[in-house]
Amino acid sequence: MSSTPSFLSSALIIGRKDLTLLLGRGTGLAQAFLLGLLIIFIFSLSRGIGETVSAQAAAAIFWVATLFCQVLVFTSLYALEEVNGQRQGLLLAPAPLQSIWLGKGLAGLIMLLLAQLLFLPAVAVFLDQEPQGTLMRGLLCILLTDVGLAAAGSLLGALAQGQAARESLLSIVIFPLLLPLLLAAISTGAEFLGGGVPSGDGENWLRIIMAFDALFLAAGLLLFGFIYNSRE
Amino acid sequence: MDMKKPTPQKNLFAAVAPLALLGALLMAGCHWMIFAYAPEERVMGLIQKVFYLHMPLAWWALFSFFLVFVCGIAYLARRTPFWDALAESAAEIGLLMAGLALITGSIWARVSWNTWWTWDPRLSTTLIMWFIYAGYLVVRRLDFTFERRATVSAALGIIAFIDVPLVFFSARLWPQTMHPSVVGRSGGLEGEMLTTLFVCLAAMGVFWVALLLTRYRQALAAQRLDRARLDYLNNEDNF
Repeated sequence: MSSTPSFLSSALIIGRKDLTLLLGRGTGLAQAFLLGLLIIFIFSLSRGIGETVSAQAAAAIFWVATLFCQVLVFTSLYALEEVNGQRQGLLLAPAPLQSIWLGKGLAGLIMLLLAQLLFLPAVAVFLDQEPQGTLMRGLLCILLTDVGLAAAGSLLGALAQGQAARESLLSIVIFPLLLPLLLAAISTGAEFLGGGVPSGDGENWLRIIMAFDALFLAAGLLLFGFIYNSRE
Repeated sequence: MDMKKPTPQKNLFAAVAPLALLGALLMAGCHWMIFAYAPEERVMGLIQKVFYLHMPLAWWALFSFFLVFVCGIAYLARRTPFWDALAESAAEIGLLMAGLALITGSIWARVSWNTWWTWDPRLSTTLIMWFIYAGYLVVRRLDFTFERRATVSAALGIIAFIDVPLVFFSARLWPQTMHPSVVGRSGGLEGEMLTTLFVCLAAMGVFWVALLLTRYRQALAAQRLDRARLDYLNNEDNF
C-alpha cells in the first residue's frame, strides 16, 4: 500500500489539476483576463485630453483590475467541483483538507501573476505610465500582495461555491476584507510608478502587506475546514 | 428536540421588557443631560451635541462585532445552536448602530469640517466594518442547511473581526485626518461633558442589551421553526 501523500505534495497535485483544467478549457481564464483589461481601458477614459493619470490613480486601477480578475479566477477554481457531487470526491481524497485550500490558492496565484503580465503593459499603454522605482522591489510588492489575495481568495472562494450569483457574492464578502491589502498595494504601486508614496514610508506599507499575508495564511489553515466540507 | 423543555433563557427573556423600559427612561434622561446639563462647545457650538449619540453608537457597534467574533469561536468549539442565534442578533444590531454612527458622524462632519465625508482611520474603519458585516448578513441569508450556514458564518465572523485591526492600521497610514480624539488624550472633554458622555454610553448599553435579547429570542424561535419544518418534511407520512 502506498503511503498517503504529504500536505504539500497533495496541494501541488490539486493545484496542478486545477491549472490543467482551467488552462485547458480556457473560457474562465479568458473572461478574467478580458475583464481586467477592459477595466484598465475604461478607466483610461477618465483622463481628459492632454491630462496625465497620477501614479496613485494608475496603481489603484491596476489593483481594481486585479481584484475583479481574482474574484473570477477563484470562483471558477471552485466551480470545477460544483456538479455531480465532485466536491465529495475531492474531500474523499487521502489528503489533508487544507491541501485543497493551498492547492487552489497556488493555482490562483499563478493565474493572477499571468493576468498581471497582461495588466502591467496595459497600464503602461492606456494610462501612460512609466515605472520609475526599483524593479525588484516593485515586483516583490506585487508578488507579496498576490500571496495575500490568493490566500484570502482561496479561503472565501470556497464559501461562494454552488451559490447563485457567486461572483457578486464573493465580491461583496471579499472586497471590504481586502481593503488593508489594497491600500498597501496602491501605495507601494504608486511608489513603483514614480509618484512617491502617498503617505508614510514604503516599509510600513510592506509590513501591512506581510501582516495581511500572515493573517490570511493562518486563517486559511485554521478555518478552511469549516467553510469547505461535506455539508451542503 | 428541546422544544417543550423550559429553558434557563426564559428568565433572561423576562428581563427584556424592564430593560427596554429602563433604556427608554435613561435615553430620555440623556437627552435632558445633552441639552440642559452639558455646556455648549465653544468652537463647534450646538452641532457638537450629536457627538453624545455618535460615540456610544460607534462603541456599541464595535462591541457587537466583537460579540459576533466570540460567538463564532464558541460555536465552532461547542456546536450549540444558540451561539449562532446570538451571533446573528449581534451582527444585525452592530450593523444598525454602525450605520447610525456613520450618519451622525457625517452630519457632524458637514457642519464642522464642511464635508460629508473625509478619509479618517476611524470613519473609514467604521465604513469598512459596515460593509464587511453587511456581507456577513448576506451570507447568512444564503440557501444553506442550518449546520453549514452556522459553521460558515462562524468562520466568517472570526475572519471579519481579525481583519479589523489591519483595516484600522492601514487606514491610519493613509493620508488626511481631522477626526478629534476625545477620551484619554489632551484637548478632550472636561467635566459635565464627560459625565454626559458616560451616561449616554451606559444608556445606549441598556438599550443595546434589550435589543439584543429581543432579536436573540426571535432568532431562537426561527431556528425552532426551521427544525420543526424539516422534521415535518422528513416524515414521509406527511406526503
